[in-house]
Parts: sequence; structure tokens; C-alpha cells
Amino acid sequence: MRILLHPPPRDRGSMIYAGSSERFALIISLSFALNSALFQRSMISSTAPSRKALSKIACGRLQKELVEWQVNPPSGFKHKVTDNLQSWIIEVVGAAGTLYANETYQLQVDFPEHYPMEAPQVIFLPAAPLHPHIYSNGHICLDILYDSWSPAMTVSSICVSIVSMLSSSTRKQRPADNDRYVRKCKNGRSPKETRWWFHDDKV
Amino acid sequence: MHIQQLQMRPFAGITLGLKPIGQEPLSSLAAEFESGSPILKEKIRLLAEQYTALRRTRGDGNCFYRSFMLAYLEHILETQDIAEAKRITGKVEQCKNTLQSLGYTEFTYEDFFSIFMEQLESVLQGKEASISMEELLSRSRDQFVSDYGKRTFAPNFALIFILFKVPDNVCMVVVMFFRFVTSGEIRKRAEFFEPFIAGLTNTSVDQFCKSSVEPMGEECDHVHIIALSDALGVAIRVVYLDRSSCDKGALAVNHHDFVPTASADESSVSLDAPGKSTEPFVTLLYRPGHYDILYRR
Repeated sequence: MRILLHPPPRDRGSMIYAGSSERFALIISLSFALNSALFQRSMISSTAPSRKALSKIACGRLQKELVEWQVNPPSGFKHKVTDNLQSWIIEVVGAAGTLYANETYQLQVDFPEHYPMEAPQVIFLPAAPLHPHIYSNGHICLDILYDSWSPAMTVSSICVSIVSMLSSSTRKQRPADNDRYVRKCKNGRSPKETRWWFHDDKV
Repeated sequence: MHIQQLQMRPFAGITLGLKPIGQEPLSSLAAEFESGSPILKEKIRLLAEQYTALRRTRGDGNCFYRSFMLAYLEHILETQDIAEAKRITGKVEQCKNTLQSLGYTEFTYEDFFSIFMEQLESVLQGKEASISMEELLSRSRDQFVSDYGKRTFAPNFALIFILFKVPDNVCMVVVMFFRFVTSGEIRKRAEFFEPFIAGLTNTSVDQFCKSSVEPMGEECDHVHIIALSDALGVAIRVVYLDRSSCDKGALAVNHHDFVPTASADESSVSLDAPGKSTEPFVTLLYRPGHYDILYRR
């Protein structure tokens, strides 16, 4: 079972979640009450994160990840080689025998100054796969990309998680709150600025 | 203390100058609980019989590791205990091997290990003799700006780190080093830790390490402390400041010593060496949800 996250509802009354159980809906509404002030603040100050150059540690680490990727790429993924270490474009092919078999998508992975202490920003480029945890703007609702990120993870391990998330999907559809969330992100907000909420699902 | 020594060890100099930076007298704790529970007030009074000062750490979920790191490095800085530094260096090497044999990709942890070793070396050598207070303060202000992410920041904490010449981002890296060490120890002895973890959460050892040890900001429980203490062979005393009391007899402040299980190697020798106190030199004050550092009389 994987823990996934979804952004909090703006209006508690009209909360509908794809596949959410009542148990988790309760937790969401409680934590919403507690954190609404913080959430509001993040809404106001939302801007695209300014891109700072990679730190020395980040640079060294990414070079090692790149070499490792070339030797041992995760199956189903192809890194489009560019001279930009800080932003990777990765091609994903849906695994055979799943809803996304033979479909090709593109991931954009942007690394912050203090990678790997901070998580990279990972989004699908248009058109993002139809999936209950992937928004039409490419934002992915996956805990390891946000709160559960750890420097012990790598681009490669993120890719493995993403393909497993795709593979376990049983229906091709957008999250229930897709339109509202995508509207909210119109100003180019990074998914890392979203306050994602625990939401348990089997997909 | 001779002037020469003071120059070699600026931190100790400042500490001995009757104004320990970042440390607070225990009376500040008493003031905090002035209108609080009588049990707590009495416990703080008892605490003051044994301990002189407290050092607060930021409450961002990393407080245990951070407190441990500070208390440990500070101990090395003050004692210049080269034997202990050698001992822990061996342990760190073992921890690295553990991660390697568990299948961790080397580049994910090697930077964290080498930065911890750099910190250890820097407190041993006590170099950079003359940093003025003004410079320390201004550097600490810079650190506020470059603080990691969204967490709140406790001012005195920044200052301590400047005294240690450890910028905050390095401090976070060292916290992550301890998380690697803890996770490696738990995984290595999965059979031993499994029942503890089952009692805490409903997850597997692997899932526990992934979700409750390795991500930054995940709080520390007994399981983590046992693992870290064992892995590095460092005893840790945790003093509990809570409202619990027993009906009979006088009120006492409970503490628990986490004594590393390692027996066959040099760590136990160092702990039980004749003439040395067997009391752990890392002493942390636990208030539900948070760890700070305590200083003995």
C-alpha cells in the first residue's frame, strides 16, 4: 500500500476525493482546520521558485547519478541527454500489460540548489497521463516527491515509483479535484509549493 | 586556562568566559513553567540540583539528531578526546560498510559521511583561532537568510552553529548522516527491531526506515535512539520532564540511559575505562515531542 497525497480542498463542504475513504476524509478535514492559516499564506506568496545554481554537493551528486543512469537506467525510462545538469527530461514508456502500455510520456525533473537535501521538482510535460493521481498540468500526487523525500533516494528510484504508480492504475481518469487544482496553479506555481495532504489509495 | 590554549579553542574560551553562548541557565526553564503544573515545577527544581544549563534546539522534527550532534561534538571539542574520536571513526566506517552491504548506492550516502568526518576533525583541531563576536553574530544573521526551506529558526541555535563553524546547511547534512546511520542499523538488525517497530506503527522494517527514519523532519522514537546509540557506540542519557509521578515516596526526575550493546569491541572498553565516569556524556532533556541538551554540574 502506498501513501499518496492530494492538495487540500479549499472548501471543506464540497470535498470529493478520487477513491478516498471516509477515514482519510476525516483526517483531511481536521488537518485542514489546523493548517488553513499556513495554507492561505502559501497561496498568497505563490510564485515560481527562483532558480539558483546547484551547490557543489548537488553538482557532484548529480554527475554521479548521471553516470549511474547511463550504466544502469531504470527499465522503461530514457534520459534525453542535454548539457543541462539541473533540468532533466526523461521519457517514460508505460509498462506492458498495464493501461499505459506502449504510451510514451515525458517527465521534467528540476533540481534545487541543495539537492539532494531538498527534493527535485518532478512534473509530467503535456500531455500528462490520465491517472487518478496525476493532474492535467502534470503535477504528480506522490508522497516521495514532497514530505517523504529523502536524500537516500535518487532520480532512478523516483522513476521506479512513478512507473509502479502508473502500472497499478485501474482506470484512466483525472483526480476529482483536477479543475480546481489546475486553476489554482495557473500562475506557474510549483507542485512543491502545494501543501499536499495524506490520502490513502491503492492506486 | 592559559591564553595560548584559549586561542586554540575559541569556543571553550567563550564558554569559560562565564557567558556560554546559546546555553541558558536552568532557571529559564523554571521561568517558563512558573504558572505550570506543580509536578513540573518540582521536577525542574530537582533537575537544577544535577544540571546547570540547557541548550534549546529547533523543533522541526530533527531535534533529537541535532541535539545529539551538538552534544557529541561539543564533548569532543571540550575534552579533545582523541581516543574517542578514533573509536567513533572506526564505527562510522562500519556503518558505511553496513549501508553498502544493504545495497544502498554509495553516492547517496558518501557525501554525508565525509561531511560528518570533517566536522569531527574540525572540533578536534580547534583551528580558526580568532573569530570576533561581531563576526560570529553577523555570520549567524547570514545563516538566517540561507536557512533551508520553510522551517522556523531559533536564533540561539544559529549562533551555536557559527561557534562550531557549522553552517546550518551543513548541520542538516549531518542530521541526514545520523539518519543514514540509524536506518542502516535498524535494517541490519531487522529481526531485533521488528517487534519494536510493529508496536509503534503497523509497517514493515523497510517501510519504517523509508517513511520514519530517512526523510528529514521525521521525529525520533526509542527505536531510533537505540539504533543510533548502538551503531555509533555512544551512550545517551535521556532525562524525562513530564507530569508523571508515583504515589509513594518523593518525586523524582526519571531518566533512561541508552547504553550501546556493542561488547566485543573497543567501545565498551572506552566506556568502562577505569577512572572514567560511566555516565553517558550526551545528556538530552525530553519534553513530550521535543529534545534539548542538558549540561551537568
